[in-house]
Amino acid sequence: MSKGLKAEVEKCTGCQLCALVCSASHVGKFNPSESMMNVMDLYPEPGEVKLSYCTQCDEHPCVEECPAEAIKLNEALGTYYVDREECTGCGMCVEVCPYEGCWLDPSESYAIKCDLCGGTPQCIEVCPKGVLKR
Amino acid sequence: MADGYTGNVLRVDLSNEKTSVEPLNREWAKEFIGGKGLGARYLFEELKPGTDPLSPDNVLSIWTGPLVGTMVPLTSRYAIITKSPLTGTFLDTYAGGYFGPELKYAGFDAVIMNGKAPKPSYLWVNDGKAEIRDAKNVWGKDIFKTEELLREEVGEKAARVAGIGQAGEKLSRIAGVTSDITRNAGRGGAGAVFGSKNLKAVVAKGSLGVEVPKMDEFVKMAKEMLLKDVVENPEHAGLVTDGTPIIVDMSQDAAILPTNNWHSGQFDGYQGIDSDALKKRVFVRKKACFGCGIACGSWAKVKDGAFKGASTEGPEYETLGLAGSNCGIRNIEAVVKFAEECDRLGLDTISAGAAVGFAMDIYEKGIITNEDTGGLELKFGNEEAYAKMPEMIAERKSKIGDLLAEGTLLAARKIGKDTEKLVVHAKGSEYPAYDPRGSIGMALAYATSDRGADHNRAWPVASDAYGDGDPWSTEGKAAICHEEQIMKSYKWSMVFCDFYGVSPEGMAKYYTAVTGQPADESWLVAVGTRVWNLVRAFNVREGFSKKDDDMPERMETEPLPSGKTAGKAVPRESFDKMLAEYYQLWGWDEDGRPTKKTLEDSGLGDIAARLDYLK
Repeated sequence: MSKGLKAEVEKCTGCQLCALVCSASHVGKFNPSESMMNVMDLYPEPGEVKLSYCTQCDEHPCVEECPAEAIKLNEALGTYYVDREECTGCGMCVEVCPYEGCWLDPSESYAIKCDLCGGTPQCIEVCPKGVLKR
Repeated sequence: MADGYTGNVLRVDLSNEKTSVEPLNREWAKEFIGGKGLGARYLFEELKPGTDPLSPDNVLSIWTGPLVGTMVPLTSRYAIITKSPLTGTFLDTYAGGYFGPELKYAGFDAVIMNGKAPKPSYLWVNDGKAEIRDAKNVWGKDIFKTEELLREEVGEKAARVAGIGQAGEKLSRIAGVTSDITRNAGRGGAGAVFGSKNLKAVVAKGSLGVEVPKMDEFVKMAKEMLLKDVVENPEHAGLVTDGTPIIVDMSQDAAILPTNNWHSGQFDGYQGIDSDALKKRVFVRKKACFGCGIACGSWAKVKDGAFKGASTEGPEYETLGLAGSNCGIRNIEAVVKFAEECDRLGLDTISAGAAVGFAMDIYEKGIITNEDTGGLELKFGNEEAYAKMPEMIAERKSKIGDLLAEGTLLAARKIGKDTEKLVVHAKGSEYPAYDPRGSIGMALAYATSDRGADHNRAWPVASDAYGDGDPWSTEGKAAICHEEQIMKSYKWSMVFCDFYGVSPEGMAKYYTAVTGQPADESWLVAVGTRVWNLVRAFNVREGFSKKDDDMPERMETEPLPSGKTAGKAVPRESFDKMLAEYYQLWGWDEDGRPTKKTLEDSGLGDIAARLDYLK
């Protein structure tokens, strides 16, 4: 059983409040491009929403393949997070992730993936439709 | 500065294909906030009076505001501000979706465009930079295809597009600007202004973000407001379960549902187009705009029959009224098709629905024939002919399509034969779906709306036809219009969505949290008063006065036939009484012009000094 976020995507209305609070708490700005949750309303079948985020999968190839060993274990949670100081922004994790769960920040200097806000994910708190759970 | 604003305005000289960036006028921002107010201030300054709205000299601007792109719920909108080719008045028209926040993230509070591009073009805005690009691959294409192709061209699958379809390209005065496929800045013909400038679209993608002074405190407050004031707000319950289509039954009951070109206030087929029909027959899922905890939108898709596969977000109440009952259409599937066609081609569903209802009326009266309609049997309720009309209008096909593309009033004037009397409008803008003959305050609301007949400036119908008030008493109606026009003026300057039932105190709290500036209800009222007076001064400068603040003769002379409104009309003396009272409340003269004192008291002394009638 993975320890990451879970989503009932069929309930999602695409409002992106999760992405807003995520960027606010992590970079102090409202900026979905720097969020760890990517919300995409799909085109050309409008009305469908795709959520991309790190599920904290058991196989975690990102951890195995990271040449800088910048994806580290949060021992308390048993989950992995990106150490932005050590990440070189090489993009290997993005390449190997089977779930489109991580990506590079807009300046391409480090990888972004869900760190569960250290234990109390803000996105779960703000989601008005109860889409997200742990 | 972390105050919600990006601080930058993008200037676009389309004629010379040049762009530049200038700092936002922060003095004006403090007085007018953003959106409607700030856009109006810039437009008043920059537009030469008497300018033809479809000439290169018209100024076309897109405005956000300090709250847009933050976590303040229901502030995803943007305003297009220009002079309307439909009414000749000031025009502010809004769309939700995702474009507004994206423009902020791309680095701009506003984009102001002048001139006319030498060839079909689009504007690409990305992280503080802008570029005018060749639109040859998308000119002539519909909205759906345009959005898809432009995302490919700029190489950003999450880029947001605000653009026009064929209707705007062909300068239809009822063409809107569409973003996110179905979100329309519909009213007033902003799409034609795009078209007249050879501008297909503005495409935005940004990663610069928006900052506020104290993020931690802000998030705490926003989370609390989201839960208590949005998700758990009882005012929003109907929007969560149904959205605006719930109003169809309310209007049928109040007998104010426009039916067969306003010849009735009740429609025997209403159950085929109401919220229950929508939910049972075409509903797919709920859809939100950016940052919205309500999600009033419904994705609808037709499951079978002649219109199988047609889909739209909505249809909203106004579409169900004007393009449903007012055209005698009794099946939700047909309305979904009509709305999809309007989305695809870039037409305002209110004006297009009203125009088709009018055309059906004069077809049935024998004033136009199959020769004018390209062979279509344009009778009330003929779904097949009806569903073809958006394309006829947008592409200006057949004589009637070409005429209706000019808006219903201009079409009637060209047709002659007394058909103008059948057009239900104020200042050339077709009425939304609330018949004043069963909500007398709406006659005043439509007559005094700054962009022509409109339901988003004052909505007295809520307290009379839908509430406990007396729908035919003039008492207090001027005061409702006055008070709501002030409130909407500041609400639209903050670019809130209409559907957020936020209190003035709530709005002030948000404003302060985002900008760091103090605010309270009385300050907001001062801003709203200033904005509405400024826009009125703009319209007076364009030649508008009391003579234009009117209702169509039919509202007085043609009583409704059934239900609660049977035998009811709007007596002329009642209308005149409300209007006189309204001018008094606003401090305008007998001809409806703001006095020098009124302007000075609203902080518009500099504007007063430049108005000829005050010299």
